Amino acid sequence: MLAVYKRELRAYFTSSTGFIFMGFFLLLSGFFYAMTNIFGASPDYNSVLGNITFIFLIVVPILTMRLMPDDKRQRTDQLLYTSPLSISGIVLGKYLAAVTVFFLTLLVTCLYPVIMSFFGDIAVWEIVGGYIGFLLLGSSFISIGLFVSSLTDNQVIAAVVTFSSLLFVWLIDWIAQGLPTDKVSGIVFASILALAAGAFVYYNTKNIYVGVATTLVGAAVIVATYFLADRYFFDGFIVRVFEWFSLLKRYEEFQMGVLSLAPIVYYITFSAAFNFMTIRVIEKRRWS
Amino acid sequence: MIKVENVTKRFGQHVAVDNLNFTVNEGEVVGFLGPNGAGKSTTMNIITGYISATEGTVTVDGYDILDNPEEVKKRIGYLPEFPPLYIDMTVKEFLNFVFEIKKANTKNKKQEMERIMELVRITDVQNRLIKNLSKGYKQRVGLAQALVGNPSVLILDEPTVGLDPKQIIEIRNLIKDLGRKHTIILSSHILPEVSAVCERVIIINKGKIVASDTPENLSRRLGESSKLTLRIAAEEKQAIKVLRDVAGIKYVEAQGVKEPDTVDVWVEAEKDIDVRKPIFNALSRAGYPILQMKSMDLTLEEIFLQVTTQENGEVS
Ligand SMILES: Nc1ncnc2c1ncn2[C@@H]1O[C@H](COP(=O)(O)OP(=O)(O)OP(=O)(O)O)[C@@H](O)[C@H]1O
Ligand SMILES: [Mg+2]
Repeated sequence: MLAVYKRELRAYFTSSTGFIFMGFFLLLSGFFYAMTNIFGASPDYNSVLGNITFIFLIVVPILTMRLMPDDKRQRTDQLLYTSPLSISGIVLGKYLAAVTVFFLTLLVTCLYPVIMSFFGDIAVWEIVGGYIGFLLLGSSFISIGLFVSSLTDNQVIAAVVTFSSLLFVWLIDWIAQGLPTDKVSGIVFASILALAAGAFVYYNTKNIYVGVATTLVGAAVIVATYFLADRYFFDGFIVRVFEWFSLLKRYEEFQMGVLSLAPIVYYITFSAAFNFMTIRVIEKRRWS
Repeated sequence: MIKVENVTKRFGQHVAVDNLNFTVNEGEVVGFLGPNGAGKSTTMNIITGYISATEGTVTVDGYDILDNPEEVKKRIGYLPEFPPLYIDMTVKEFLNFVFEIKKANTKNKKQEMERIMELVRITDVQNRLIKNLSKGYKQRVGLAQALVGNPSVLILDEPTVGLDPKQIIEIRNLIKDLGRKHTIILSSHILPEVSAVCERVIIINKGKIVASDTPENLSRRLGESSKLTLRIAAEEKQAIKVLRDVAGIKYVEAQGVKEPDTVDVWVEAEKDIDVRKPIFNALSRAGYPILQMKSMDLTLEEIFLQVTTQENGEVS
């Protein structure tokens, strides 16, 4: 894993994508910093971090689009996959390399609050908290980008799809507001999920019985929940499901400078889940 | 050492490898011969664990590629059809990387790296970026990469493709040397290449084995020496007339004039008859000097035609 990590990190700076990422990020964050804290004369640095989350939509695709397709194009995937390395080691090496580039960029932006501290007191711990949240949020976006890049051999497609996926995640709270909250649509939505789960299992096992069984279990759970457990469970169900995917909502606490365990665990789980899916996709693609 | 049992690979509806069975013993050098699309690379990709077989099993040293991929991969050095190189690295950096991923980071890594670079003759380009190397040198770096970690099995997919004739000979000799210490499977389109380095040849066509034998036996079976080309200092008609009368010659055809005052002729002899001496005698008696005589290398197409018709039981 370490070898892949080092090699990818290097590649970011020999191929200039690392510099493009850094450049974009610093330019946009610098602009917002100048507008808010310098010209706006506001001492609140965390609101800058909160306002620039949209940057991820643009810069994360730059960071992740070449991660998987590049090896395919150069055929070095043949070298990696026939070496004794595990797929998870390869994926994690790549993921951590991208996160490291992001981390290094964030380190540079630490200059902004440092400059502010020359002119007055700043809330150091709140800013540290904001940064930790920002790093975790960005890492989660990166895990989505890496996942998307494993689905295609084409960098441009990877970038476009990553952008769209991140846009969706970024807008998810807003989308969720417009969704129906009544019982019936909740149950319909839950049934669709059960069907999708069945289809997914069928796709993976190629066994129709197992797939149907999964859907039936899902249906049974829905019925049991409704009649036996909680009649009101399906009120607002759709919105709650969408909120699971709301990365930005979890960031609000960090932005206020509060460090609590739940959102940290959430982000780490989110990245882990996407990295796991990436590993599965690669194994699946090779084993079929 | 390597055991391939009932291996089939389908890409969608297309059967690339069709129920392949063969074994390669320790220390053996085996050649894979076959036309484009025969399934050579696919078979190699399966043995090395790059892709999986649709059906069947591959074991190396008793380890199954699916159950114990790491044990198998540690034992194999693989040079794929297109050498897998990170072109933004220097040769040395790249080999360092390969040492790391193959977990071959031993104490004497430095010497080992020197040894490998010496062996494939890339020592003097070690600090150059791979992207600036010529095709032949890239191929050598690919070979060096396969040798890292001193694996007991080497799998080389068309190792001499794209090299100049001098390099081809060098690499063939290198492979012959390596064959003393390693088990090798190499693939090729060229029969003489395979005969030069391999102890056994497996010919595959459309994913199936059509012949498997020593190069000598194959050549004998295929009657390699029964076709000759001659360059004779004579008029076309006269030369052909003389040759037609030589016993054992089945077919004579003029190939036109390639050099002033000579004619090139193509001769096919009856099976198992060496007509070279009778030809010499007949032509010298007639006073037509032979300027050139050589056995024709069979083209792959001819071999296939022969092998496949033979396998179909046409030969009694
Ligand atoms: N990834 C793939 N998807 C679909 N078909 C494939 C794939 N890889 C190989 N094939 C098909 O499988 C068959 C065997 O290909 P393979 O590359 O093994 O042949 P080969 O013997 O190595 O040929 P060559 O001498 O041209 O290298 C071909 O018909 C090829 O089109
Ligand atoms: Mg091939």
